[in-house]
Amino acid sequence: MHTIVCVKQVPDPEIPPAKFKIDPVTKSVIPPPGVPPVISVFDERAVEAACRLKDKHGGKITVISMGSEKASEVVKHAISMGADEGFLLHDPAFENLDSFGTAHVLCKAIQKIGSFDLVLCGRQAADWGAGQVGLILAEMLGLPAVTLASSIEVGDKKIRVKRLVRDGYEVLEAPMPSLVTVSSELGLPRLPAGMRLMLARRKQIPIWKAQDIGADPAHLDKARAHTEVTEVFVPIRKVECEMITGETPAAAANELAIRLVKRIQ
Amino acid sequence: MASREVFWNISYGYLVYLLAILGLAYWAFRFYQRCRIWRMGRPDEAAQGIARRIPLFIRTVMGDLFTHRRFFRSLLPGTMHFFLFWGFILLLIASAIDATTYYSGLHMTGSIYLWFSLIVDLAGLFCLVGVILAAYRRYILKPKQLVTLPDDGIVMILLAVILVTGFMVEGFRQAATELKAHPDWAVWSPGGYLFALAFSDMSQSGLRFWHRFFWWFHAILSIGTIAYAAAVFSKLQHLVVSPLNIFFRSFGPIGSPAPIDIEKEELLGVGRIKDFTWKQLLDLDACTNCGRCQDVCPAWATSKPLSPRKLIQDLKGHMLRVATAPHEADTNLPALIGENPNEAEIWACTTCGGCQEACPVYVEHIVKILDLRRHLMLVENRIPETAQVMLRNMQQRGHPWAGAQAMRLRGDWIAGQDLKVLAEGDQSSTLLWVGCTGALVERNVLATLSLTHVLKAARIVFAVLGEAETCCGDPARRTGYEFQYQIMAEQNIETFKNHGIQEIITLCPHCYNTLKNEYPRYGGKFKVVHYSELIAELLHQGRLELTQALPSKLTYHDPCYLGRYNRIYREPRQILKAIPRGNFIEMKRSKDRAFCCGGGGGHMWVEELPGTTKINSKRMEEVLETGVETVVTACPYCLQMFEEVIDQKELKEKLRARDLAEIVESAMKGSP
Repeated sequence: MHTIVCVKQVPDPEIPPAKFKIDPVTKSVIPPPGVPPVISVFDERAVEAACRLKDKHGGKITVISMGSEKASEVVKHAISMGADEGFLLHDPAFENLDSFGTAHVLCKAIQKIGSFDLVLCGRQAADWGAGQVGLILAEMLGLPAVTLASSIEVGDKKIRVKRLVRDGYEVLEAPMPSLVTVSSELGLPRLPAGMRLMLARRKQIPIWKAQDIGADPAHLDKARAHTEVTEVFVPIRKVECEMITGETPAAAANELAIRLVKRIQ
Repeated sequence: MASREVFWNISYGYLVYLLAILGLAYWAFRFYQRCRIWRMGRPDEAAQGIARRIPLFIRTVMGDLFTHRRFFRSLLPGTMHFFLFWGFILLLIASAIDATTYYSGLHMTGSIYLWFSLIVDLAGLFCLVGVILAAYRRYILKPKQLVTLPDDGIVMILLAVILVTGFMVEGFRQAATELKAHPDWAVWSPGGYLFALAFSDMSQSGLRFWHRFFWWFHAILSIGTIAYAAAVFSKLQHLVVSPLNIFFRSFGPIGSPAPIDIEKEELLGVGRIKDFTWKQLLDLDACTNCGRCQDVCPAWATSKPLSPRKLIQDLKGHMLRVATAPHEADTNLPALIGENPNEAEIWACTTCGGCQEACPVYVEHIVKILDLRRHLMLVENRIPETAQVMLRNMQQRGHPWAGAQAMRLRGDWIAGQDLKVLAEGDQSSTLLWVGCTGALVERNVLATLSLTHVLKAARIVFAVLGEAETCCGDPARRTGYEFQYQIMAEQNIETFKNHGIQEIITLCPHCYNTLKNEYPRYGGKFKVVHYSELIAELLHQGRLELTQALPSKLTYHDPCYLGRYNRIYREPRQILKAIPRGNFIEMKRSKDRAFCCGGGGGHMWVEELPGTTKINSKRMEEVLETGVETVVTACPYCLQMFEEVIDQKELKEKLRARDLAEIVESAMKGSP
């Protein structure tokens, strides 16, 4: 069984809030110095899901990541968890692509890799949180897609996925190959154990550029992007607190209820 | 001339040597079988450098064993064993002398003979008193922590009967020979003399008969006891196994497992009893089930399931189980980490070293626990969730403190300070290694700042790494995540070499221990100093003066990794006692007996068993007993632990916790 996992390297979500800075002109995040970027939280769960399937059914896991040169770190991290092979998609043309552009690059890379049974992605990137690349990628590859998976089982040329819904979960079946986006309810990802950690560190991750994967310049053209970022800003938190009083607790509660109803109307 | 005839009244006395040889041969055969059990383990470095071991062995035996230093931590068991030990040794020597004099013809006579008799009799009496004290403690006082097995009682009875019959034999002889003729000789053997008086009315032939009877009885029982000890591998075997264990004790720092060579090693930690080394298995047999380790264990004292004694005995049980069926498949054997010992026990250890310090036969508990943790971590991935989170942080962020919680970044503490921060290519011979806690946790940054002020006041030239500093790796190593530790160690060593660092001053005893004692095995040997050593030296040289009195009664809590691990007890006390009009009170359990704060062994991030008293609470009770207003410590974990208890138990009005560096700054001239 061959699983392909897409992972992204993001600025550390655990940067202390006071240190989080953005550049409104370039509309980008300025990571504070000395804080290394990390693997996107949900993507790590996707790798974990792939590893669990490999533990049970054997097979192979290939990891791809589109990003800067540093992103090879997250590919190595995935290998240390249990992936067999990884590729870094790095090219100046890949910078600042929107979800559609990103999905196109990933699609071309997956087509270059060849045959597979399952594609796994995180449900959304831990930085921008759009949650679109997975579905667009599935569409481009012509695969059925199931999102928000909290568990994946494989059997009989089919996958069974527990998908999160607002008040519980639903169980879906899909044929293979298909694409699944994974949520953090999958559980804690394994810590790279033993030798894999050391071996992964030493591995050289091949870099694929636009021409290596046959990316279509039309899809990479920023002037023809499907989405446009208009503004990036840090929301100003305003806290208003009004104390509702009353002669008795019942009176105060009554007053509160009236206020709430008025607010809703 | 006073003397006695050796082998008097005994015909064919030489047969006793034959019996002894048979007994010893049987003993040797059984011992050889036991050695083979130990040999199921892997090779151990202890086998190398045998010649080097001899001076260490002699020092240990003379300094620790002969003085019974570790035994006398507790008066009753200490006295009991002292009597047994010395009594027995003197009796052995006496028997050897007797045999020598008999066959060499150099008979003892006169006052030599009399003094010899007295000393030997007293030895026997003290030995008997030792047995009585032991029986009294085990069967009448019945301390809760003492585990009693049938072997314990059997050994006591055997020893008592051997000793008493020895005196009886002497009594019969004295009654038959010297009691009436030379009563002034007889009193020089008081034990025998008492029996002689009791037997004085017996006829000569009766005396001779019973003398002969009890002589052979005593001899056969003694040899029989040796055979019994060999047959069941009684705790009496510790007479041989424990010195053997002391001989092979680790040279190196305590609590330091061997590195894992990634190129060669397939074995990651210990998952089966055979994965231990032969020396570690020898430890299991050296243990006499005395429970001294359990008595001092902070986990056990706060109702955690871990007892170091039980752990060792459980492992011994596994070893013997495998020994009975050496070719049985691993899958048929009970899992090593299953019920006894179980995971909770293995994670409950704070690696404080109290157990090893207390053990009179030098069992090494900590490395075994770390080996088991390595297996759980590296092979089975079974570790407590909070530890997982911490280790993930180590991996991704280079430190164990979660980013958002810490609310600071690595280099933040330097803001506004006039410090030399090493940039790429910079060189400095002295480095101040701050450590993760001292840089990232608000409370501990104050201690770091205090230290930098003190060092600058003393005109010490040093540099810091700032945000380029990553964790020394200690939390990863103590939780079994060896490879992460190795990665960090190698990285740090390279950083040190690139900056030309020769001397490293540390704030944290865990960093100190790792950098000083463990990094050399990864290619990095530097001069590592804990700041307390440096400040004590500066005071001694007069380069620092403490002139401000501190209006506070204070006590000092010895951090485990500074105290027991590295024997630094004096320097912090020298510093505190240099404070003018100081009021320093020692806690009852201090120095090598200090009670852990609960922060070591990865426990800053591993939850203690819910529903039990927290270890830091227990230590705080001891602090409060002294009535001090300030508890001083020299470790960031200890400081965190004390601050936590002060907060939880709302002790802020009564007690403050301070780092030693903060105290020094306050006591220096012209400081705020």
